[in-house]
Amino acid sequence: MRRLLGVALGVLTAIGGFVDIGDLVANAVVGARFGLSLAWATLAGMIGICVFAEMSGRVAAVTGRATFDLVRERLGPRAGLANLVASTLVTFLTFIAEIGGVALTVQLATGVSHLLVVPLVALAAWLVMWRVRFSVMENVAGLLGLALLVFAVALWRAGPDWGDLGRQVWQPHVPADQGTGTYLYYAVALFGAAMTPYEVFFFSSGGVEEKWTGRDIATARVNVFLGFPLGGLLSLCIAGCAAVVLLPRAIDVTTLAQVGLPVAVTVGAIGLAVALVGFGAATFGAALETGLSCGYSIAQYFGWSWGKLVRPRQAARFHTVVLLASIAAPLVLLTGVDPIVVTEYSLIFSAVALPLTYFPILVIANDSDYMGTKVNGRLANLLGTVILVLLIVVALAAIPLMLLTGAGR
Amino acid sequence: MTGGTEAGQASSPLPPGRRLDLHLQLLDHQVVDQDGNLLCKIDDLELDLDADGLPVVSALLVGPLALGPRLGGRLGRWWAAVPARLSPRANPEPVRILLSEVIDYGSAVVVGRPERHRPLEFARTLAPLEDWLVRHVIGRIPGNRHESE
Repeated sequence: MRRLLGVALGVLTAIGGFVDIGDLVANAVVGARFGLSLAWATLAGMIGICVFAEMSGRVAAVTGRATFDLVRERLGPRAGLANLVASTLVTFLTFIAEIGGVALTVQLATGVSHLLVVPLVALAAWLVMWRVRFSVMENVAGLLGLALLVFAVALWRAGPDWGDLGRQVWQPHVPADQGTGTYLYYAVALFGAAMTPYEVFFFSSGGVEEKWTGRDIATARVNVFLGFPLGGLLSLCIAGCAAVVLLPRAIDVTTLAQVGLPVAVTVGAIGLAVALVGFGAATFGAALETGLSCGYSIAQYFGWSWGKLVRPRQAARFHTVVLLASIAAPLVLLTGVDPIVVTEYSLIFSAVALPLTYFPILVIANDSDYMGTKVNGRLANLLGTVILVLLIVVALAAIPLMLLTGAGR
Repeated sequence: MTGGTEAGQASSPLPPGRRLDLHLQLLDHQVVDQDGNLLCKIDDLELDLDADGLPVVSALLVGPLALGPRLGGRLGRWWAAVPARLSPRANPEPVRILLSEVIDYGSAVVVGRPERHRPLEFARTLAPLEDWLVRHVIGRIPGNRHESE
């Protein structure tokens, strides 16, 4: 019974934890411009994160080593360092976007300018990373993040033509008033949103820290294969709301308020309040995950002591990295840069960095010296390879598409 | 690696007949103490010649002075030069872990912690930066001795 509860909790937090500022913005922007005609990108990204999160969890359980520890082993110090710099910059950019997302949520709820809130959000995030236990942190943010299910209610209340929405999903085509370039650009952004690299850094580091063994692999699989698809479905609901409410009124999403607008229109003030709780929990939870991931990846490359189970003074370099990130992120936001724009760029640069994260995981999951009988099976390798090829195409196309379309404008 | 020596199996260092690929199974691997506390990475290896003139690994080298040369180029030179400059010693050298201190080779290399060091303070003796940060930054923030709760 206890075990069942644990599994249920894991699935629920995986749903709430799947969505972050990138998913909120990308899905609403895309829904308002392209309807559900890009749902395939969200679905493909969701399959990708399932396949690779399972792989990284299995590697962590069998070897007791987290992702970046193994990246350096496999790529050597030079290529490993280049990978580290790129991945950490992208994760830090995402961290900035998440902190900005929390601040924008507070601004929506209270009317206080987000610039005043940003330093407080960063301080709160740092305090939690300094003091609060992993499981508490993950469960509270994940469960409150379930408030985003109000988007499913909103979509249902909007009373859409379900047949038409279904046709958009299963027979995708570029809407007449949009260019193919922008269509593909946003497909790249959705990939970046669904497969953001920090998700596997965080997942595998958590597994190592909680000392997963072979027996925990089953639990991790249930969390991943149930929780993430439901999280992906939630992403589609956000896009669907925008498609049904905003697209017919030609409202483009450029602010967090517009992401929540469909809920306000169809469910009312209470619905919007619930959505704001969901925004706050999802972005704050992701801020913690990205902030810690900056520390994890650097510490794991250099072999430093890291994690939340040792005292901060026994992982001084790790905590210094987390502290510096928590100071630098609000400073970037205080320049007045729009957090939504930061989010959009973080998605594109995430897309560029995708193969750097996922290629080494695929290699290690196939190494029988490490994995023994738990090496990748045929299905995992087939899916992993197909997705990796797709990710390489996405990564190569990301920057040219960004320049070609003027970042989707 | 030859058969019958799965990773994680406790054994004395290099039992007869066991081969290690230095590049794949030693370099850049994580080093932990016998309680599993994370210590460092193996940044480089020190080779010596044995009585028969064959090269043998004599020590694991740790720290930026060992990693810098392996990074190569201008970045590698700076990587080693800056910590060397900051070191109080006249001829700074990489930290050495003698091969005789190694207890086991698995997915991580296990090193026995010397008696005189407390469990989680060993890493500070291997890394001046960690020690400095404990004394000047992290050690000054309230709550630094608490585990997360």
